[in-house]
Amino acid sequence: MKHLIQLLFFICLSVSWVITASSDDSDGCIACHQIIDEDRDDDEKIMTHIMEDVHFQKGLSCSDCHGGNPNAGDDEDEAMWDVDDFVGAVDKKDQPRFCGKCHSDPEYMRQYSAHIKTDQESQYWTSHHGQKLTENDEHVAVCTDCHGVHGIYPIKDPRSLVYHMNVPTTCKRCHSDKDIMANSGLPTDQFDKYKSSVHGTALFDKKDIGAPACNDCHGNHGAMPPTILSISDICGTCHANNAELFKGSHLREIFIKENIKLCEGCHNHHDILKPTDEALNWSENETCSHCHSDGQDKANRLAGTLFNIIDSLNNKIEEAIETVDLAENKGMEVSELFFSLEDAHKNLIQTRTSIHSFNEEFVRKTSEDGYKAADAAIIGAEQALTEFGFRKKGLIVFSLILTFFVIVLYLKLKSMENK
Amino acid sequence: MKLYDWINERIDLDSAVKFATKKQVPVFYGTVWYYLGGVSLFLFIVQVFTGILLILYYQPGATTAFESVKFIVSKVSFGWLIREIHSWSANLFILFIFLHMFTVYFAKAYRKPREITWYSGFILLLLAMFFGFSGYLLPWNELAFFATKVGSDIAGAVPIVGDFLLKLLRSGDEVSGATLTRFYGIHVAVLPLVFTLLLGLHLMFVQLQGMSVPPEQENLPHDKRKYMPFFPNFATRDLLLWLIVLNVIALLAVFFPWELGQKADALASAPAGIKPEWYFMFMFQTLKLIPAHVWFIEGELFGIMMFAIAGLIWFLVPFLDKKANQGKRSLFWKFVGIFAIVFIAGMTIWGYSV
Repeated sequence: MKHLIQLLFFICLSVSWVITASSDDSDGCIACHQIIDEDRDDDEKIMTHIMEDVHFQKGLSCSDCHGGNPNAGDDEDEAMWDVDDFVGAVDKKDQPRFCGKCHSDPEYMRQYSAHIKTDQESQYWTSHHGQKLTENDEHVAVCTDCHGVHGIYPIKDPRSLVYHMNVPTTCKRCHSDKDIMANSGLPTDQFDKYKSSVHGTALFDKKDIGAPACNDCHGNHGAMPPTILSISDICGTCHANNAELFKGSHLREIFIKENIKLCEGCHNHHDILKPTDEALNWSENETCSHCHSDGQDKANRLAGTLFNIIDSLNNKIEEAIETVDLAENKGMEVSELFFSLEDAHKNLIQTRTSIHSFNEEFVRKTSEDGYKAADAAIIGAEQALTEFGFRKKGLIVFSLILTFFVIVLYLKLKSMENK
Repeated sequence: MKLYDWINERIDLDSAVKFATKKQVPVFYGTVWYYLGGVSLFLFIVQVFTGILLILYYQPGATTAFESVKFIVSKVSFGWLIREIHSWSANLFILFIFLHMFTVYFAKAYRKPREITWYSGFILLLLAMFFGFSGYLLPWNELAFFATKVGSDIAGAVPIVGDFLLKLLRSGDEVSGATLTRFYGIHVAVLPLVFTLLLGLHLMFVQLQGMSVPPEQENLPHDKRKYMPFFPNFATRDLLLWLIVLNVIALLAVFFPWELGQKADALASAPAGIKPEWYFMFMFQTLKLIPAHVWFIEGELFGIMMFAIAGLIWFLVPFLDKKANQGKRSLFWKFVGIFAIVFIAGMTIWGYSV
């Protein structure tokens, strides 16, 4: 019996040593919460996530955000409840200020990066989310809704909820949820529309991280729906030439007067499709007829003319490509002509952009270089084809001469052998 | 005839003409195979002439080679024709040497006293293949660059001297502009010199020893054996065939030109489906099929050793085929020859079909 008691005592001692040894001796929060985590589901385990958290990686621990006394050992009161600065689970309305304690302090944040921003909280309060939170509407996003709670990764980490590729799915979590958005008066189909848009396809299907996600148009911490005038500035960030040309067009004033959002009026917003030349085709496309429903002759004629300029340049380039291909397939050296084709193609894009001026003369002038480049390719390819024709004729003449000599030699040989 | 007389007085042309007219070429079912060596010689002459013309415009160097070849084919008058003829005749040259070698093999022409002719011919084949390998890189295009990389990698796998061979070929650790300059020097100076000397020797043996006939023909009584004079009968036939081959080359040059492709970029990833020239394909395909390890030997090394042994056996056939020296045919060596043809053809076709 005495040996059994000694054995049990030894086992207990060993187990307690193993538990203590396996936890971080310097931080009581981690030691206890690791044990608490054992009974939790995987996605609720605090310690599993926090180990990879950017804050933890930078050397911060639980008490740096939540307060309390990490050196209090097993005594919960001494560790948490009796400590004045202890903050447990943070109330949603207090969340921005809770993170802002550090993130809004330039002196504190400078130690992590000389270029780190500290205006996130102040921007947040100007956002639609922040304004609603001020009005005690908790159906809005706070820091943790977008960045996560204990598993926060740097924004350039693909695992981060706000990594560029993940932004639309993160916003979708609330904005596509009918219950959350019920009282907001906002639709919940933005994500679906975005996903099939030209931007969504580029981001999701082509994995093009240069494609805009939600935050590129709406802003990050100061997220707001764009206003009529600000839209052209937002789209113009990437589509600078289009925005600049439209700014100088006669349509800009009309759009503002008629309360039509500048780019959105023709291109929509979340469901922006890849524009086609056919959009200018009055009879088959509704882009212009939304406003020009009465079939005004002037607008109709302009759209038709612009369509014809682009369409004929397109046809010219296709003709050039076909001719160059034909010459190349004959084995001719035409690699230099591909530079002309490239120039023509670049000009086609410029011409397509130039229609935002809604100025026939300007569009026509822009397209001129495209025609010149395509013509140069066609002329070069035709010269190559003429050269190929010359080679064929040369081969025929050469073959005839050789055949003549072969026949003469053969006859000579026969006469020689018959003797 | 005055010119002939003038020369004859000085260098005794009569004895050369006498030798040529006196020289007899056996006439039998296999006479046609005699022309293959002549065609190979003709293609070598074409190579020399077109090669000299290409040198006039070609500029070796990583920044100039591709551009100069492009200039030759697009700007120089008939430059395209010279380059196409050079490329096509290079391939036909190797093809005809192979055909010539196999006909010599099956006719047992390597038997005593023509062993040295066989040895020199075999070395000429290897030199011709090296001619092709070194010339392939000169346009400095993407395919040539990576094919050279793969080819020199194989040389690097040779035991003991592999590393030395690789550096000797590449003029460094990697295929670079230095490799191109080295290949150019080998292609236009070293190989032509060595090849011409050896070819001269090879032709001299043929002239001195005359045409060989298969054992069956040799065993026929003298009255049943037919001959034709080398000059003018056989020489005229040779010339006739050369003209036909020239016409075929011209046809290929116009309708099936060799693409120049993209300029080589050492930093770019290798394009899919890199293949060596067709005459290396059977070795390349075999090496691909050999498992990573055969017993305790690395697969690639095993393959190289097998090819080296096979090549050595082929080279030493005159020594090994005892029956041929007795004027008899050996079934074993006949099957070795058939196996070699089937293997080379089969592996080449397989290599191009995958």
